[in-house]
Amino acid sequence: MGTENLVRKLPNDIGGDEAGKIERVEHVLLPWEKRCHALADVLDFHKIINTEEKRRGVESLGAEMIGKLSYYERWIVAFANILFQKGILTPGELAVKMSEVEGRFSDVSSTHHS
Amino acid sequence: MSDHHDHDHDHDHAPITVDELPGYFDLMETAVRELLVERKLFKAEEIRRQIEVLDSRTPALGAKVVARAWTDPAFKSRLLENGRSGCEELGITFYDDTQLIVLENTGAVHNLIVCTLCSCYPRPVLGLPPDWYKLKPYRARAVHEPRAVLEEFGTFIPGDVEIRVSDSTAIIRYLVLPMRPEGTEHLNETQLADLVTRDAMIGVIQVAYKREAA
Repeated sequence: MGTENLVRKLPNDIGGDEAGKIERVEHVLLPWEKRCHALADVLDFHKIINTEEKRRGVESLGAEMIGKLSYYERWIVAFANILFQKGILTPGELAVKMSEVEGRFSDVSSTHHS
Repeated sequence: MSDHHDHDHDHDHAPITVDELPGYFDLMETAVRELLVERKLFKAEEIRRQIEVLDSRTPALGAKVVARAWTDPAFKSRLLENGRSGCEELGITFYDDTQLIVLENTGAVHNLIVCTLCSCYPRPVLGLPPDWYKLKPYRARAVHEPRAVLEEFGTFIPGDVEIRVSDSTAIIRYLVLPMRPEGTEHLNETQLADLVTRDAMIGVIQVAYKREAA
């Protein structure tokens, strides 16, 4: 029960933990989720980010993000972090590009509600 | 962040309309991909092609492998020796560096596959895993109370049958070769493949056959 368990078991290491009933949930991937999956595969093919690096990248998001982000949300954030660490992208470049992409939807943003 | 909501829920998504503003993570995916394409680390075309590859992978491929193993003992022994080359014999390409180990269910052993750390799965032969395979309850419990897990799927394995749980890794994936059901001697390979479901190849259920009423 002590804090040593935080050291012994990283957030992904849940085999054997207590957990509730298995809810047999499934969903068809959203278009961006499928693109994210294809991106993961292409990053692996080109040896830019392999599967184990991706898994560790997700783990290093920490328990709160792992708990609150959805599966592919964790992947894309992990990819961004790994690309920053490898010096392939910078946070600033990503922020600028995200604004640019968002700007393409300016026609709908005024009518968008959520 | 306004578009973000938790996807670990079980209701259907609202229809996606073309004029919907993409959410934060959707924007991030597009931005990361476009930046990497601009740096010439890969071509946009490769993403499109990989989406087609992903769409081409369904449990029907695994079912074909199982049906062949049931009807061709020499193929079965090659498949159990090397899962990947066995599948490749049937024209199933592996688009990644993973190895495949095929686990045979018998009257003495029932196999179940899981990935406790994340979501590793035999994607080249089954396609993408269902959400429940990636969520905590299955990953946490399959390794320490597999019988209770199987019972939640309506699968009751006799007490004298060993349950063997295999935990997948980034490079080693597993596929369960279920037992061929009784009373299927007259079925051909295609008819047999139709009986084999994704969940039977994960090992959470057995393959069932009900002879049609005459």
